[in-house]
Amino acid sequence: MTAGDWQVVGFTLRVAALSTILIAPLGIAMAWLLARRNWPGKSLVETIVTLPLVLPPVATGLLLLKLVGRRGPLGQLLERAGIDLVFTWRAVVLAMMAMSFPLLVRGCRVAFEEVNLRFEQVARTLGASDWRIFLTITMPLATRGIVGGLVLAFARAIGEFGATIVVAGDIPGQTTTLALAIYDRTQLGNDAAAYRFLGIAAAVAFAALWTSEAFLRRRGNAR
Amino acid sequence: MKRLHILAIALLFPVLAAAATLRVSAAASLTDVLQALAPVYQKQTGDALVFNFGASSILARQIQEGAPVDLFISADEQKMNQLQRAHLIVTTSRRSILSNTLVIVVPNDSRLTITSPADLAVRSVKRIALAEPQTVPAGIYAKQYLRKLGLWSRVVGKVIPTDNVRGALAAVESGNVDAGIVYKTDALISRGVRVAYEVALSDGPAISYPAAVIGDSRQQAAAQRVLDFLQSPEARETFRKYGFLVKPRG
Amino acid sequence: MKLELDDVRVPLAHFDLHVTAQLSSAATGIFGASGAGKTSLLETVAGLRPPHGGRVVLDGNVFDDRRVHVPARHRRIAYVPQDNALFPHLSVIHNIRYGANGSPIDECVRVVEIEHLLARRVTTLSGGEQKRVALARALVTSPRLLLLDEPLAGLDRPLHARILSYLQRIRDEFRVAMLYVTHDPEELAGIADETVVLEQGKIVRMGRTADVVGIRPA
Repeated sequence: MTAGDWQVVGFTLRVAALSTILIAPLGIAMAWLLARRNWPGKSLVETIVTLPLVLPPVATGLLLLKLVGRRGPLGQLLERAGIDLVFTWRAVVLAMMAMSFPLLVRGCRVAFEEVNLRFEQVARTLGASDWRIFLTITMPLATRGIVGGLVLAFARAIGEFGATIVVAGDIPGQTTTLALAIYDRTQLGNDAAAYRFLGIAAAVAFAALWTSEAFLRRRGNAR
Repeated sequence: MKRLHILAIALLFPVLAAAATLRVSAAASLTDVLQALAPVYQKQTGDALVFNFGASSILARQIQEGAPVDLFISADEQKMNQLQRAHLIVTTSRRSILSNTLVIVVPNDSRLTITSPADLAVRSVKRIALAEPQTVPAGIYAKQYLRKLGLWSRVVGKVIPTDNVRGALAAVESGNVDAGIVYKTDALISRGVRVAYEVALSDGPAISYPAAVIGDSRQQAAAQRVLDFLQSPEARETFRKYGFLVKPRG
Repeated sequence: MKLELDDVRVPLAHFDLHVTAQLSSAATGIFGASGAGKTSLLETVAGLRPPHGGRVVLDGNVFDDRRVHVPARHRRIAYVPQDNALFPHLSVIHNIRYGANGSPIDECVRVVEIEHLLARRVTTLSGGEQKRVALARALVTSPRLLLLDEPLAGLDRPLHARILSYLQRIRDEFRVAMLYVTHDPEELAGIADETVVLEQGKIVRMGRTADVVGIRPA
């Protein structure tokens, strides 16, 4: 593993972590809204949120590109603000966010749905506001599922390829992630290097899962 | 006796009339011109051509891994050398059939002024699309050229590498990059870019498209016929029309 | 306490809950077979299930009518569900303190005699202990009305008398009015002066417990 190889690993971990942190608030909120509330247009929102999960990743990448590319509606705003998005690390984060968001919402939604409504009802009769119930009852009881959702989102971000390559490109030192590096090395016929990266990807996934399990065990998560 | 002859011919006719389907792996830059030539060839000979277009580096790799290909047309000699060294081609069939020139293209609505290669090093040019400069012929040629001009080190940080030359073209068409280096033939078929600078034949790298029949092909004779057709006056006229430089027959 | 249910209509799975009644006893029984709509009635009174029509008024406060629905958190009506719904991730004392808003909880703890259980995790408690904790938790809000859904369900017979005595203390010492849901008439004898009989969502009988279910009240 060269210094350049480690740069790829470090870069991938950083952007995947950033992506997961950025989608966490919206993802958890969306999951709660879908689990606990009904409103007009809910099915439409559900469909849109699930879209990146069912579309081919390159298709999602293409949609993102249309949106934030120089000629796209958001792209023009970014251009005027002087922000470079496509073909930079920011586009990598964007691709990761888009592709892992549906997994986070799914995981957290199930976690919230599994919290017995009775607890929330009793809390309401005891005078608690919706916000207090969410923080002191729903979230603590859904922690296991939420952590699971976040780990899944993080792992998905690390493995993200199709959307990334469309909207961020595969620029060595700038946007090349772990997944893209495996692809590159394979293309060049450098299988040994590809397998090294593969090993690291597996090690990262294992570490993420192990850490989350340890965290949940320590909390003594009761039901 | 006469009836027997007729019967024999009638029975043989389906066999005689059986048309071959040939698999051709060809460099991405040949997409449009070969797709235009295929129906002409089929009408003349009855043989159908099935194409696999992509970066020559990937195509060569596929052949090395045993992909069933009858004819290979690469965008540089190096990929063909690779296959020849591995004894995967019919050496006697190898011919260099075409050449090309490089151009610097910009998006149609670009407001940047690029009149020479040196302008690529200017600050306002932030992103330049090239086919992957380590492996894909178009990228290798572009890097060679920029190196020769002493511009590569000033430009390498802006390079957006794409899978093949058509990817670079698409990037420029989308407006998401400021400029790109592609073949002149690519610029000619595109409506979303304009040529900012054309590299003169004498200044640019020697571009060559070698073609050869693949050793494992079960239709070598038919593949050779395709290769002959691609060097025919009719085909050469079409290549010229698309902007390719046609090598003399040899 | 005075609870007025005026033409309250709540659509349920197989029928509509449709009741009109004025309840003013210290403890009122709600008697009926399973599925008669008893739990849904409690949920409506608590504010957890808005009715589709009618009025709910408690001690002069309009909680539900055509224009308004006062949410559960503002009603000060406490609810002890059949399974207690003790917060499993909190200890006994934190469960009890949940609705206290800083007020002292000693009286509520004392009346059900659970001083020795305060530090325990609720999942380690017996059925009877859990019921007492649920009662204490409900009382900290100084509720106007206490809703009990089958409070003796799942408890061994020997415990019944003990829990009933706690409920009597709450009714008499704390002076908290209660609605007591059950399908067992003998329980009502120990606690409720008045009883409402619910069948398929409608009140079919109402009056003194002894007359309605044929058992003398204590």
